[in-house]
Amino acid sequence: MILKSMTKSNLIYLGVAVILLILPFILTGRSVQFMITQIFIFAIFAMSYDLLLGYTGIISFGHAMFFGIGAYTTAIFMDRFDASFGALLVAILVAVLFAAIVSFIVGVLTLRLKSHFYAMLTLAFAGLFLVAAEKWRSLTQGNDGFTFKVPEFLRDSTTIYIVSLVCLVLIFFGLRRMTQSPFGRVLVAIRENEERTISLGFKVLHYKVLVSVVSGIVASFAGVLYMLSLRFVNTSVFATDVTIDVLLMTIIGGVGTLVGPILGAALIELAHHWISGLANVHWIFERWIILYGTVYILVVIFFPLGIVGTIRSKLSNGSKQKIPSKKAG
Amino acid sequence: MDLIASLTVNGLATGMLIFLLAAGLTLIFGLMSVLNFAHGGLFIWGAYAGVWIYYITNSFLLAIIVAIITGLVLGLITERLIIRPVYGNHIQQILITLGFMLVLQELIKVVFGPDQKAVHPPAWLEGSFQMGDVILIKYRLFIIAIGLLLFLTIYLILKKTRIGLIVRAGVMDREMVQTLGINIRFVFMAVFMVGAALAALSGVLHAPYSGVIYAEMGLEFSILAFIVVVIGGMGSFTGSLFAAILVGLAQAFMAYYVPALSLAVNMLIMTVVLIFRPQGLFKVKG
Amino acid sequence: MSSLLKLSQVEAYIQQFHILHDINFEVPKGEVTVLLGRNGAGKTTTLRTIMGLNPVSKGSIVFKDEEISNQKPHLIANKGIGYVPEDQGIFGDLTVGENLRVAMKREDQETTERLEWILDLFPDLKKFWKKPGGQLSGGQKQMLAISRAYVNENDMLLIDEPSKGLAPIVVEKVMETILQMKEKTTILLVEQNFLMASKIGDRFYIIDDGQTVHNGLMGELKQDKALMKKYLGVS
Repeated sequence: MILKSMTKSNLIYLGVAVILLILPFILTGRSVQFMITQIFIFAIFAMSYDLLLGYTGIISFGHAMFFGIGAYTTAIFMDRFDASFGALLVAILVAVLFAAIVSFIVGVLTLRLKSHFYAMLTLAFAGLFLVAAEKWRSLTQGNDGFTFKVPEFLRDSTTIYIVSLVCLVLIFFGLRRMTQSPFGRVLVAIRENEERTISLGFKVLHYKVLVSVVSGIVASFAGVLYMLSLRFVNTSVFATDVTIDVLLMTIIGGVGTLVGPILGAALIELAHHWISGLANVHWIFERWIILYGTVYILVVIFFPLGIVGTIRSKLSNGSKQKIPSKKAG
Repeated sequence: MDLIASLTVNGLATGMLIFLLAAGLTLIFGLMSVLNFAHGGLFIWGAYAGVWIYYITNSFLLAIIVAIITGLVLGLITERLIIRPVYGNHIQQILITLGFMLVLQELIKVVFGPDQKAVHPPAWLEGSFQMGDVILIKYRLFIIAIGLLLFLTIYLILKKTRIGLIVRAGVMDREMVQTLGINIRFVFMAVFMVGAALAALSGVLHAPYSGVIYAEMGLEFSILAFIVVVIGGMGSFTGSLFAAILVGLAQAFMAYYVPALSLAVNMLIMTVVLIFRPQGLFKVKG
Repeated sequence: MSSLLKLSQVEAYIQQFHILHDINFEVPKGEVTVLLGRNGAGKTTTLRTIMGLNPVSKGSIVFKDEEISNQKPHLIANKGIGYVPEDQGIFGDLTVGENLRVAMKREDQETTERLEWILDLFPDLKKFWKKPGGQLSGGQKQMLAISRAYVNENDMLLIDEPSKGLAPIVVEKVMETILQMKEKTTILLVEQNFLMASKIGDRFYIIDDGQTVHNGLMGELKQDKALMKKYLGVS
């Protein structure tokens, strides 16, 4: 039954996953291993964003908020409860719950209005979380942040690598299942033409809130993994940089594809790595946002489907691929 | 008593600065259905360009003029290169304007350097008046005066001139305006440029007010402008004035009494408005 | 008899929906041509497409011997076409006077005369000159919309369902006015109210499912009961 439902692309994905699984045992460079782990983690984060933007057409400018919630919850629990595994499980639960509540509230408030409101509100909320993290020093140590220990068996970087990879694979297939289900098709309908979907009798608000909750939960989980790999937290997890990164990853990689964001995560992380190395050469590389920002703008105008999306539409040039768009007005 | 007066003046001044930023945003949104997330970039470029000229020439007046010109030019560039290519597609618009905002912000660091810059009001605006027990800071009164002056000017233009009539009509039904033979694209560009100039003006006026400018200021300040646009009613010019005053006062009073909550209180107001009256509190004609 | 407007094999989409398949008709100068048809047949879309509010995917639209398909709406309007949309397009927060002022391209003798002429026919508009357009009654809005289209020296007026939602006595008034305007300009009218259309129309075209399926002189149509029933549901 499982083998029967394996499509060609599924087999390719699993193949790649297996290769990645073996990789750390072949390569020995720790920084490379760390970087690839980061790619896995941000791929999860980016996929959660794609769920909102690519599939449902919801633009959030505050996605860092969920990432940070996952991160800080983990960090605080690990710090306070001596890095026991039980505490970690509770931390994950709390992080997920917290993220769900926040995304639910924000969603219910603004998703029934035009897309601009959600974008603005999430931008403002994320700013709020950042300020809160800075000011509430007793809890977060403010800008300085703090280090903490993680459970014994997760201390090895190779273990974290494998854990992240497994999570990525599971979440990828899980989200894919969701997007290919009837639920996912309604999301796409909402993205294409919300009014029509409403007139067809769907309770569009419910769908939007639900997808935003799922997205928030997955994003906060990425934050959890990030902490396990880094073991240090500070206010940067709530910074706009994080939201910018995930925007770039999703748009450049390809919205609405789930694979696109994974590719985007790889590209952006690699570029981060490469560019910070070059910063010593020339100051322009410190201002990577300008380069990325310009690429991003060009992609939005000329390749709105991103890398994966453009490739896919070229391959199936019969069908009329639709750019995620909402009717103006 | 003098504390209240001082905070009120403070709040009104902040409110005026936010108004200048929000006025452009709300008109652009009302007319073009474009929410310009790059507006903060226009603000900060106005600030830096103006301050730079101020450093060189020591003339605040010249600084203001240069800032306004910077706003007009950047507004033109933004409208043609960024907004027009994606006109009609809300998602692309929102994404692209934010991207441009970031590029503008980083370009500041490239052109002017990454450090903060300190700014002082010009000599003729420094200092304060004394009215009884109350001390009124000259520069803040100056800002309030300019804000009101601009509000009145634009209000009169909207109400009494043909272009104002067209803009008001366009905010209500831009298709109809086109079928009456008016080139709405041209009106878009004009409104966008004026909005950008106002943003840049707000930036250069803000500089001596806060005493310091830094690249991230644009994005931070524009969040307040967004809140104002929501509270005032998207597309309502008069609404944005009242909302800006409300937000400015809330900000000033909160910053004194409970500083940690100053952003939160305005977000709270916005949230309440969104729940109960999403069309805005002051949805006034035009 | 020269045709002021000619549509040939026009096709048009709204987003991905193929609304107009094959539209062909001519509007002779100085007459009232009526587009008839059921709800959803594509009549409004036809007017919008002529006006440039909707893109033409195939075919041609020729106005005063010039191809106007896919030009910008304001350019098309300035060639001499006035448009009265189905929802009248009144600027709700502007006064009656301001609504008219937006429409008036020039403030010259010619325009002032036309304004006076139409205001004489619609005295209500003079009476409520300072009232916001949004507060007018349905009939008054229709009068305002028609006045706006008339006040410039337009060679042709496109009027979309002017009788919709109006009381019979108001409909009479509107129709009378259109008849009087016929002397000064050409009119392309979309109507579902057949009774009304038959009184003032000279020529008709029936649109069904995005195609022009029948045409002729209005007199002929009135005689042909079977045709009326088939395409218009009138018995």
